[in-house]
Amino acid sequence: MAHEDHGAIYDLLAARGVSRRDFLKYCGSIAALLGLSESFVPQIAAAVNHGAKLKPAVWLNGGACTGCTESIAQVDTPDVATIVLDLLSIDFMETLSMAMGEDALAAAEAVFEEPGYILIYEGSVMQGFDGNALRIGGKTGLEELDHAAPNAAAIVAVGSCAVDGGFVMANPNPADATGVKPYLEGKGITTPVVNLPTCPVNPEWLVAIVVDVLLLGSLESGAILDKLDDWGRPKYIFGQTIHDNCPRRGHFENGNFVNEFGTEEEALGYCLYKVGCKGPQTYTNCPIVRWNRRTSWCVESGAPCIGCGSLDWVDVGAPFLNRHRDLPLPGVGNTQPGVVAGVVAGVAALGLGLHAVGMKASGRMDGGAPYEEMKAHDRKRMQKGGGK
Amino acid sequence: MSHPAHYREAHPLIFVCTHWINLISMVALAFSGFYIHYPFFANFMGVARGMHFFFMYVILINLFVRIVAAFFVKSATRLGTHEVETDIKNWLPQKLNRHQLGAWLKYYLFLKKDHPIGAKYGVLQKIAYIVTIPLTLAAAYTGFAIYAPFMDAAFFAAGTDWVGGQMNMRIIHYYIMWVFILFTAIHAYLANVEGVAPSRLIFAWKEEEGLRFDADGKVIGGSGH
Repeated sequence: MAHEDHGAIYDLLAARGVSRRDFLKYCGSIAALLGLSESFVPQIAAAVNHGAKLKPAVWLNGGACTGCTESIAQVDTPDVATIVLDLLSIDFMETLSMAMGEDALAAAEAVFEEPGYILIYEGSVMQGFDGNALRIGGKTGLEELDHAAPNAAAIVAVGSCAVDGGFVMANPNPADATGVKPYLEGKGITTPVVNLPTCPVNPEWLVAIVVDVLLLGSLESGAILDKLDDWGRPKYIFGQTIHDNCPRRGHFENGNFVNEFGTEEEALGYCLYKVGCKGPQTYTNCPIVRWNRRTSWCVESGAPCIGCGSLDWVDVGAPFLNRHRDLPLPGVGNTQPGVVAGVVAGVAALGLGLHAVGMKASGRMDGGAPYEEMKAHDRKRMQKGGGK
Repeated sequence: MSHPAHYREAHPLIFVCTHWINLISMVALAFSGFYIHYPFFANFMGVARGMHFFFMYVILINLFVRIVAAFFVKSATRLGTHEVETDIKNWLPQKLNRHQLGAWLKYYLFLKKDHPIGAKYGVLQKIAYIVTIPLTLAAAYTGFAIYAPFMDAAFFAAGTDWVGGQMNMRIIHYYIMWVFILFTAIHAYLANVEGVAPSRLIFAWKEEEGLRFDADGKVIGGSGH
């Protein structure tokens, strides 16, 4: 049996205080995340065990807040996820590399020369200001991406910024930010991109991709591409809405809602729909995988989903505590759709009221005006035709 | 003064029924839709969604029945007559309405004193009624596009991508309902402002005597009250 192997991984696990039992449990959860049956657990365990030498990886930071790095680097208590991610030989990462300056850049350069590495890209691609919104080592961010992307075996775009520009591309988007995939498509670079949105990215998803792409070989076989939706997101992570799997869904169906924060309804854990929860339109498996080592996640901890896993999520989600987004009306500014509808309806009601006054004044309310003898058009024609 | 006679031939019983079904469905859909958008009282979400998902099929089936019936049922093509023709003639261009768009606009804007000659449905009226068909279908499309069992189907997902996501689709769906509300307000106003005979006929199937017209729209008798 594969999981009977006692390789380097178990020493690593033991050194970090992770039992073999924990490890197998974790492999089981990865299997579930990837939509695989329990029978894949030994295979995953073996893959992790034997996968000590893997493709090198480079982590580039684009225009963003580095929150995704923070999310991935949550290493206060080493766990299996950390170890799996350790298997990814990240040879360059601006925020966490030990090396600095020329040395670090040289390490990245060395990776770029050998095709087949994994490129992890965090942050938006800022196209504005001729690319000068971001400069690394004397080059623009765009030049760096152009240089790194073509030789990569695959690009993992982590976080919403890397997917479509994220919050950086929210109106008015002065940096003309976009995502890695749309940017590369515009450049004709065809390296496959796996998109992992949300703000920040959930480390569990990167673990799933590492296992799927690197260890189970779904990149070589091309199987990973079949698992992506039209936006390059793995369907097994982004295939169902938060609403579908929400622990508060029962309260939604019953009609028990939090009307405002600080109320008894909130204390009772009622549904956050009325305070703007975007769960019904947000496709992520947050309720299942959860965050911070499966401790909790936004809705479970009492905050409405702000839809950070959606495309263009800031513009379509803000104001986050409202059911509707704002409409940017020219000359008026951001306006709620209901206000626009109310004003139009009010004007229409006023118009009908005034018209009714006119109808009354002109005596038409009792049966309408007397009928015309002949259509005006026909009368004109007759006059032209000499009374025919 | 000059109200046309309203005979049952203008609205055969089947159309009295489809009109009732439309009204009930639209009220139920608008109410439950508003509730689903923003639940303004507690403990009703399950019922509201059930209402919405039931009546959306009722109104679609009703629309289908109404359109099919137009080809098989005979109805009057003008007011003040017992003569009938296939109902679809009411929905195609009619001789009585030709060249009358301007006259109707002027009449409504008080720029014309006498009542324009017209078919059962005047120019603007007919356009407004016909527009409710694509509007209903648009409401159905945008509704299915934000309804979990259907929203991932390629036919709806493609539209959702095109409008920029489900939030935008929801707002379009919301505004279509407002268009229906405005339509209904104007429809009810114009139908009844010169007398409630149209309502008595379409709701209670009760006739009312009035002016009678020949095929050229000429008054040939009767009294307008």
